Amino acid sequence: MGTIIKYARIYRGFINTCISQATSFRLHFFLLIFMDLFFYISSLATVDFIFDYVPMIGPWNRDQFLFFISFMLAIDQLHMTFVSEGFWSFSFELRTGHLDFHLLRPAGTIFSVFFRHIRAGSLLLIFVPWACLIWFGMKIPLDPFAWVLLPCFVIAGLILLVSFELFMTMFVFWTIEVYGINFLRIQFQQLSRWPAFAFKPWPRRIFTFVLPILLIGTPTTGVLLGTSPWYALLYMLAATLILWGLVRWLWLTGLKSYESASS
Amino acid sequence: MIACRNLSKSFRIFEKKPGLSGSLRQLFKREYRSSHAVDSFNLEIGKGEFVGLLGPNGAGKTTLMKMLTGIIVPTSGEALVAGHQPSKREIPFRKKIALVMGQKSQLWWDIPAMDSFLLLQRYYEIEEKAFRKRLGDLSELLGVTNLLNVHIRKLSLGERMKMELMACILHEPDVVFLDEPTIGLDVIAQKNIREFLGSYQKQKNITVVLTSHYMADVQSLCNRIVLILDGKKRFDGSRSEFEDILGREKSISLRFEHAPNIDDHAWSKMDPKWSNNNFQVELRIPEATMRQTLADILLRFPVIDVVSEKMAVERVMETLLKRPELIPESR
Repeated sequence: MGTIIKYARIYRGFINTCISQATSFRLHFFLLIFMDLFFYISSLATVDFIFDYVPMIGPWNRDQFLFFISFMLAIDQLHMTFVSEGFWSFSFELRTGHLDFHLLRPAGTIFSVFFRHIRAGSLLLIFVPWACLIWFGMKIPLDPFAWVLLPCFVIAGLILLVSFELFMTMFVFWTIEVYGINFLRIQFQQLSRWPAFAFKPWPRRIFTFVLPILLIGTPTTGVLLGTSPWYALLYMLAATLILWGLVRWLWLTGLKSYESASS
Repeated sequence: MIACRNLSKSFRIFEKKPGLSGSLRQLFKREYRSSHAVDSFNLEIGKGEFVGLLGPNGAGKTTLMKMLTGIIVPTSGEALVAGHQPSKREIPFRKKIALVMGQKSQLWWDIPAMDSFLLLQRYYEIEEKAFRKRLGDLSELLGVTNLLNVHIRKLSLGERMKMELMACILHEPDVVFLDEPTIGLDVIAQKNIREFLGSYQKQKNITVVLTSHYMADVQSLCNRIVLILDGKKRFDGSRSEFEDILGREKSISLRFEHAPNIDDHAWSKMDPKWSNNNFQVELRIPEATMRQTLADILLRFPVIDVVSEKMAVERVMETLLKRPELIPESR
């Protein structure tokens, strides 16, 4: 319990320092808010536009598909707010030797490195994807039990997404330069924003069982909408556990080979 | 407090051939060489010691410090710091140590120092009352009370280094590693930092390991010197022993009213180094005969100023770096 309180207090400190940092550059702060809003609108509008020409995509109608998109945006929003900056800064910290200071702090180093940066502007927009999610959930409509499961499933999707991206980012220990990995990460994020049935059989198998990005949103929304069996959630759980095991192993191996930049 | 046995660290260094063909070739085949940054290093440091780790650039000082703080893992050998194996990076170990790097900042650039300190308070679980007291005492001692709420990027280098030191000792570590803490600072700022470090170390009786290329830091703070050359320990002893490596001689500078006869036999035994106009000379005089020799010189020559050496460590260091064969084997 003491450990949880300690980490919660540190995390509150992260939020304070990030808000302090973000509000130092006012114009940039507002620009990021605008950028996030633009992203949400364009994601929803693209799918809405397609449904002006087709009545169904796979087994889903417009509202069901927009519910899925809102679900993925809710995951993205949490991801952008609480983790995404860490993936970009890791390479900088590795190359410049700033990782040294994280290694000295008396707390988990993965926590210090990847959960240290919080995008204060995105934090303010937390209501946008959730409002869309609730709106389309009501239009479907979801049953009461599905409403209870909804926030849990968003968190589960976020955990799987973060696990997958951490797994990819661990290779920065060997590539040092992060751009290749980060752009690949973004490509996978884009693929994960489509439901599994949108893919042909072989890519679907690969992106479900080898690089499990289609497990981020498809099984959970499928269960909520009644189009997937409940045991699809077990794949998601298994993928998360395997990825965490791999992340831990790669992290410890990477740290052993870490040489720190000369000063 | 600190012990290491046969501690070694090797790095694999890739050497690229110049030009376009070298760039293309390196994509497929690379040539590596092994560099021994630290080689079979043995060291024991007791509680409350202030040790100067000296050596030229690339000697292995920072690598040694990084191994002792757990930042990098040794290739071989053992280390024990404050009862812990640094490479395990245990949380209680991290609470007992601190590292200041003069060339890298641990403070967040875009926020005031106070925000960083509050975050460190949470990391190190410092109680509110103790935190406020330490912060007040340290900021007053370092003269930065009015700068705590200023963004770090707006501070001068000297002010920033004071904040770095505060960040480093807020949790009252048992062992502090200082890697060139005065680098780039003006003489006043260097002096302030030195005075602070000296008094803080005495007051808290902590163990400090310092590397610095400014011998004034070492001269005024360290009671023990460890010399490292090419990753190997070449000297380990008290500061006075280090100063005596070149013999028990004093370096004395004399200034004359008018140029004396430089061919006088009196100078020949004292390794004289004359200035261009012969109005000034630097002499090496054995400690045992210094009073008598100086008295004779003052009687015979028109001396108007006598300056004794202030930085024996610097002179010894300079000589040893040029002629490492002078370092006694037994040390």
